[in-house]
Amino acid sequence: MVLVLAIGDLHIPHRAADLPPKFKSMLVPGKIQHIICTGNLCIKEVHDYLKSLCPDLHITRGEYDEDSRYPETKTLTIGQFKLGICHGHQVIPWGDLDSLAMLQRQLDVDILIAGHTHQFKAYKHEGGVVINPGSATGAYSSFTYDVNPSFVLMDIDGLRVVVYVYELIDGEVKVDKIDFKKTATTRS
Amino acid sequence: MWVIYFFCSNQLIFMSPAAIERPMLESACSKSSDESRRSFANLRGVQWRTDLGILPPLSSSTIDDLRKVTADSRRRYACLRRHLLVDPHLPKDGSNSPNLAIDNPLSQNPDSTWGRFFRNAELEKTVDQDLSRLYPEHGNYFQSTGCQGMLRRILLLWCLRHPEYGYRQGMHELLAPLLYVLHVDVERLSEVRKEYEDHFTDKFDGLSFQENDLRYNFDFKKYLDSMEDEIGSHGNATKVRSLDELDPEIQTIVLLSDAYGAEGELGIVLSEKFMEHDAYCMFDALMNGAHGAVAMADFFSPSPVGGSHSGLPPVIEASAALYHLLSVVDSSLHSHLVELGVEPQYFALRWLRVLFGREFSLENLLLIWDEIFAADKNKLEKGAGDDTGSTFGIFSSPQGALISAFAVSMILYLRSSLLSTENATICLQRLLKFPENIDLRKLIGKAKSLQALALGPSISSSSPRCGGAYNHSKSMVVRSHTLPSDSISPKTPLNMVPDSYWEEKWRVLHKAAEQRNGSSGKQNPTPKKGWTEKVRLSLSRTASDPSPAKAGCGNDHKPSVRRRLLEDLSQELGLDEDTEKAGCDEVSGQKDHICKVVEVENQDGVNNDFTCVAEERCLSGIAGSEENSSLFSDPSSPLSGANNHENDSEKSSVASNSSIDETDDHPEANHEDTTLPVSHLPNNATLNSGDNNEATGKSLAVPKERKLLSGKFQWFWKFGRSNDGEETSEKGNGALDVTKSANDAGSQSSTVCSSVDGSCYSSTTGDLVDQNMMGSLRNLGHSMLEHIQVIESVFQQDRVQVGSSDNFSKNVLVGKGQVTAMTALKELRKISNLLSEM
Repeated sequence: MVLVLAIGDLHIPHRAADLPPKFKSMLVPGKIQHIICTGNLCIKEVHDYLKSLCPDLHITRGEYDEDSRYPETKTLTIGQFKLGICHGHQVIPWGDLDSLAMLQRQLDVDILIAGHTHQFKAYKHEGGVVINPGSATGAYSSFTYDVNPSFVLMDIDGLRVVVYVYELIDGEVKVDKIDFKKTATTRS
Repeated sequence: MWVIYFFCSNQLIFMSPAAIERPMLESACSKSSDESRRSFANLRGVQWRTDLGILPPLSSSTIDDLRKVTADSRRRYACLRRHLLVDPHLPKDGSNSPNLAIDNPLSQNPDSTWGRFFRNAELEKTVDQDLSRLYPEHGNYFQSTGCQGMLRRILLLWCLRHPEYGYRQGMHELLAPLLYVLHVDVERLSEVRKEYEDHFTDKFDGLSFQENDLRYNFDFKKYLDSMEDEIGSHGNATKVRSLDELDPEIQTIVLLSDAYGAEGELGIVLSEKFMEHDAYCMFDALMNGAHGAVAMADFFSPSPVGGSHSGLPPVIEASAALYHLLSVVDSSLHSHLVELGVEPQYFALRWLRVLFGREFSLENLLLIWDEIFAADKNKLEKGAGDDTGSTFGIFSSPQGALISAFAVSMILYLRSSLLSTENATICLQRLLKFPENIDLRKLIGKAKSLQALALGPSISSSSPRCGGAYNHSKSMVVRSHTLPSDSISPKTPLNMVPDSYWEEKWRVLHKAAEQRNGSSGKQNPTPKKGWTEKVRLSLSRTASDPSPAKAGCGNDHKPSVRRRLLEDLSQELGLDEDTEKAGCDEVSGQKDHICKVVEVENQDGVNNDFTCVAEERCLSGIAGSEENSSLFSDPSSPLSGANNHENDSEKSSVASNSSIDETDDHPEANHEDTTLPVSHLPNNATLNSGDNNEATGKSLAVPKERKLLSGKFQWFWKFGRSNDGEETSEKGNGALDVTKSANDAGSQSSTVCSSVDGSCYSSTTGDLVDQNMMGSLRNLGHSMLEHIQVIESVFQQDRVQVGSSDNFSKNVLVGKGQVTAMTALKELRKISNLLSEM
């Protein structure tokens, strides 16, 4: 059983001062085994904060990230799942499922995590999953100012992924749960 | 084959199970009643489960009962496991909509599934750390994944079930042997199964074969299915003996592994599948002390449990109990350890917590646990007015007493090596690195005799007095042994080059004493203990009842007087055991000093001929005891005569003392003697007669100095008392009265003793008024005594040196002595200032 935190588009300090305190209190070290960050942190301090939650941190580069060493895309294998990370501003049209599915095929991953739109989305597509964790700080996007802070926690266990969606709506943390099962045959 | 089983068992039930099962069982039971409780001699796991109270004793129940109980306990465990070992992925009640705001991985709610899951994971990590290092020498079993998994689950469940204890290091070592014996049992079962395959398979076949015609009306279809198998078993059936002809042990195994008794497979008493369940039940019983047994979990608890008087954590209390027992059995070793500052919990913590698991190899450990588990667990019946009896909770049950007795016997095993060290660290090292090649049987035997002693009414109830009194006599007896350390400590270790004249003197004297002891053929402690024990035993026989002691046997009056005083004291006041004990110890220590000083003088009397001193003392001892017997022992009481006689023979180290006392030649027998209940009176008597024997001899040589000394001590104790407060002065007077009477009796040494004793008890009265204050006061008094003693010996030495013409380097030594005296006096002044301030 592995817990993977997917978080992104924090835009600190440009569009938000910090993570919402409720999120911060929930995110404690010791529970999470991996952190996947889609980018746009934007400063090193946020990187350090995430590192303090869990040292196993995987970040791709957003267009506002100061640190240019982050890769554009990254793939990693956790358990029996192959995960792909990308910020998403490279994939046009932004947030488009077909384009993202193309990237997913390109990276040959089971789960693609991409952000940039600041809207939580989770699609099940062609035996794979595409997840957009949204913006953890609720920073405004190019589309809209009306953004609910959100992040995603994936519980990967064998061939099963449970996606917990944490969303801050009207000052309350709402948790949602989505189940995905991978059929063993899809893997070569 | 399986079908046959099923079919036949059905048939059995259909017929009359009792008719078939009972005779077998009865035969098994009658066998087991012969050898009372060792009914599972080769099935340690089952035996332990019986001993731990999980299974009812076989003698009083049938196999079916066993199976039912087994199945119940397993069901409980399975239920617990389902309940406590959470898997957050599986919704518990099948409800698909758990409250996600609470049940999510990041939930802050500690009661949520995930919260519990994370806590379990943390606990598991801690447990795993210990488990991975468990019994590396038996790694192929204990380090296997299956075993580790079982151990982990059991520990985890127990800790979750008992959050007040949690997991503590050491629990895994309590559990591992339990699982191991189950494993061994199952292995034995499979062995037997292989060997006696016929009986496992044919038990029902044979029966069904005889009932051939009945079978046809019964479940015909199944019979057809199994026709083929049945043909095979026809051949077997001819050589099937009835189960009764089998070895009863195999018979039991067959019965215990029968899958078709009550509760079906769940009820198989020996089952590999349910090893985990059984181990958990055993562990739980061991930790929680079911049915009055010692609860091991208490030893892990940092806070005192209910019902303890001392307010100490149970393991500390048990350690103290252990030292208390040691002080009763062997006070010189006890005082040696106390002197070195080796606290009992330093080593007893480890010994007790894992029940000696660290000290012995697994094979030996199993034997020890056999004894411990088999020990009677019922709490002793205590008198209602007995308030000191429960001071040491561990002595309240035979099992606890056995545990502490075993620990004491372990200490005694190391006795000589412990006594030879002057270093606390080395002492501890020896205690914690217990030798591996030991005679376990001896150790257990000794523990059992000590257990009886610990359980004796006098130890557990009036033990402090008894222990104290015994201390006195012991310190007198083994005086020569404790002398060197006393005289040289605290400032000079034994092995240093002597820088002062009198220290060397003591060394030589001690050597002589050792030689003397060596010539008696035995190691110092054993025979000496032997005769005291013997005396005590004989005295307790005749004099344990107060009135005949007073009236009939012509023991001296002092013991009875003192005893009355004692009894009054103990009746009036609920004496705190520890403080009193401390007081007694202190007194015994001081008596050492007294004796020492006396001997200094004695020595002076014989003109510094050190090597002759021992001999001289022996002679004077003989003379003294002979005179003593005329003085004190009534001709009509053979008791004190024998006492003196024994003492006499011991003193003069006559090899033929076997004719006087058989037990002196058999230290083993002497150990048996310790099992006898001991009352405090005989100890006093022993002490006194011993004192008299010793001291009369001495007082022959130097009566004047003795008087002076005793006077000094009396003065000192009076001084101490006057500081203690008004309450004690009365008692002090009483003590003085005793002193007077003793004086009248004409023995100087008993003057000293009784005055010291009296003041000891009066000071314990003071303890009740203000224990803390008294404790510090007494400590101060003790150190004052020491200093006085230093001064005295120095002056003594000066006198000797002035007196004897053939002394070389006189000036240097005198100068040195004076310096020592001056510093000691300064100390004394400081202390008395402190005392007066208080």
